[in-house]
Amino acid sequence: MTFAAIEEWQVSAPEGAPAGALVVAPPNLDAVARVLGWASEVGRPVLPWGGGTRMGPSGGVVPEVVVLTSQLTRVVDWQPDDLTLVVEAGALVDDVEAMLAERQQSAVLAERANGSTIGGMIASGASGYRRLRYGPTRDRILETVMASGDGRVFTSGGRVVKNVTGYDIPRLACGSLGSLGIIGQVCLKLWPVPESAATLDVTVDAFDGLYRPMALLETEDGAMAYLAGTAEEVAGQAAAVGAHAQPGLQWPMPLGGDVQIELRVPSPLTSAAVTQLRNAGATEFRAQHGIGLVAAEFDSWSSERLEELRTWAEGQGGAAVVLASPQSDIDRWGQAPGSVDLQRRVKAAFDPRRIMVPGRLPGGV
Amino acid sequence: MTLAADLRLVLGADRVLDHPLDLQIYAKDAGVTPGTVAAVVFPETTQEVAAVVRIAVVHEVPIVARGAGTGLSGGAVPTRPGLVVALTRLNQIWEVDEAAHTAWVGPGVINLELSQHTTPLGLHYAPDPSSQSACTIGGNVGTNAGGPHCLAEGSTVSHILAVELVTAGGDVLLLGGAAPDPIGLDLVGVVVGSEGTMGLVTKVLVKLTENAPEVRTLLLAFPTIEAAAETVSSVVAGGIVPAALELMDRPMIEAVENFKSCGFPLDAAAVLIAEVAGHPAAVEAEAQLVADAGAAAGATEIRIAATAAERDLIWLGRKSAFGAVAYAAPDYYLHDTVVPRTRLVEAMSGIYEIGERYGISMLNVFHAGDGNLHPLVAFDAKEPGMLEKVRAAADEMVKLSIEVGGALSGEHGIGLEKRDLMGEMFSAVDLDAQARLRDAFDPIGILNPDKVLPEGSRCFDFGLVANLDPESAA
Repeated sequence: MTFAAIEEWQVSAPEGAPAGALVVAPPNLDAVARVLGWASEVGRPVLPWGGGTRMGPSGGVVPEVVVLTSQLTRVVDWQPDDLTLVVEAGALVDDVEAMLAERQQSAVLAERANGSTIGGMIASGASGYRRLRYGPTRDRILETVMASGDGRVFTSGGRVVKNVTGYDIPRLACGSLGSLGIIGQVCLKLWPVPESAATLDVTVDAFDGLYRPMALLETEDGAMAYLAGTAEEVAGQAAAVGAHAQPGLQWPMPLGGDVQIELRVPSPLTSAAVTQLRNAGATEFRAQHGIGLVAAEFDSWSSERLEELRTWAEGQGGAAVVLASPQSDIDRWGQAPGSVDLQRRVKAAFDPRRIMVPGRLPGGV
Repeated sequence: MTLAADLRLVLGADRVLDHPLDLQIYAKDAGVTPGTVAAVVFPETTQEVAAVVRIAVVHEVPIVARGAGTGLSGGAVPTRPGLVVALTRLNQIWEVDEAAHTAWVGPGVINLELSQHTTPLGLHYAPDPSSQSACTIGGNVGTNAGGPHCLAEGSTVSHILAVELVTAGGDVLLLGGAAPDPIGLDLVGVVVGSEGTMGLVTKVLVKLTENAPEVRTLLLAFPTIEAAAETVSSVVAGGIVPAALELMDRPMIEAVENFKSCGFPLDAAAVLIAEVAGHPAAVEAEAQLVADAGAAAGATEIRIAATAAERDLIWLGRKSAFGAVAYAAPDYYLHDTVVPRTRLVEAMSGIYEIGERYGISMLNVFHAGDGNLHPLVAFDAKEPGMLEKVRAAADEMVKLSIEVGGALSGEHGIGLEKRDLMGEMFSAVDLDAQARLRDAFDPIGILNPDKVLPEGSRCFDFGLVANLDPESAA
């Protein structure tokens, strides 16, 4: 059973989408809400799909409906003098950042986004390396317009940079992985791009001597510090650590393998996390010093290795999250937080029939 | 047994107040609306807070969390005879992690005392409400408090990594953590700013911020308020985000000078306080950029604080604003709305027009850099009809802010004062979503009822088929 308009919105499945599902690309957010209302009524599990770049292991979820945001790509309102941008969720991060760069502004989303959408970036809770300087993505989502799991379109937050009017649902939407509904439009807080930037080849020991860098990364090739600010500030800081400086922010290539695990630990344990991953046989890694995030790639999958990393990270109050695995029903999260019952009720507030990626959150929420 | 008797069994006699005179003191916050209190308790541990919540549930008495009572929106004022849970005695600084730049603190810790405590480590707690020498971290979490330095650093929510929460059922939950991006839904982000409607926060993990190696504070005087507002817009549009950008109009300058003598120019229509902070090489250039923007807009005087003492004097002027008003008038009503920064000039002239039309005496001091307006009305509540007039003007100012694309509140919260204006910004469907979220935390409706959401927010009961056209169903 379906409804007439949905046939018009049906499209072929994007690469990597689950086989056998009904794939639709509704023309606007109201249409998205109609699809979700219908799916709720008939009890069909739904998977929202942006650029398909950060889907992660499915956690055993078999969606029957895949909803693409590919028709929601408008830039609704950009106020450069107010440093705010209203944009639809299906717009590509790279396109939006290229547009903003014309006025030396940035939404400070993940670097090298490669086909990721604004909505996908927010729903997956992804932040860029520059979070060290500007905070995580969730600090910059001022307003969301969403279709809830039961098909209602609602707005939360506001288009101003400082706002405490009502509950902070935009923040809740960030990292919700599609479990509440589908994000259709957001207002983002922008930052001016500093006039000068440099990438420094350093050692991890030199990180402490830098004042408010953009990012401090360590990879299998060594350590890099990213600076931005006035030309004098960047040159002065580079000279003070005596490092070779390349102009601009030269970000490493993203990891791309079939087996990826990310450790999230308190920031002073970043180096310890690198050691854990190396000992576990990581071939490549991206460590964010000052943050406590280390993502790593492995040549082969091993459940025992994952368990060992999990035991260590959870023992430090963190987590070992599976970003990619050939085993599609793998437990992506490990031990669920103590608030799992509350998380379940919060999901139900937006998705009472539990059709939105059921089981995708920790604890099978 | 009575509520008070049950509470005394847990807390002892001296940490439960129910004498009418005591209750009157706790019936108000720093705003203008009084409420009704059934009892006041002073728990000292998380377990005591949980026990108190369970007792209130049994007695079906609403629970209202309270910090220092500096709130201005009635968030800590019980509307029906309620149990006020004063969290001021949970005031331990449990642990400061110098390497991680974090600290576990009790909700009763005073904002400024936390920063003073971490000063020797070169760290501070960034959100700095004007009431920071009195307000508590727990209260800041409740309202998602702001302050002048939130322009560059963000409001309270950006500085809270985890909370320990006593739920409506009296359970204790840890939300968030010291590791980045805690797995699952971001419930910390929801609890911060929820004004005690989602639980009682009994411990907070805060992020600490590195003290800037160099700071420059500027005082710019302008012949018109528009010129000052234009300077704000051109600085924001000019590619830097200063640490603070605060604006004061002439009536406020006069009040402050009468109160503290900070050397503010009395002949100016407005002054702008700008602060840039960071690496020494950047601070120099950014201070120049602000000064140039001011000069271009017609600043009559540009003062750059040369010493720490001069800087402190400028900030003393800014932070004594509310004290100065209290000194000058028996009552004041402080507004808090936000407008897009590009609409500052327009919003300010609208607000002056409203003030003139109602014939009320108004002073302005506000966080201009993020468009956060604080028109302050000085009045005497004993004058018949005055409070009603002040409230009516307030409603108009809020509606004006919404009309130009703004929001009801930037940092004080909705509480009681703005609850019934929520419909100006949100549709019935929007409010219903918020009500459902709240009910997920508090299914029995015992936590700070009547706050934030207007009555009738739950009126929507959509059939799931509402989106389906039955004709086209196949």
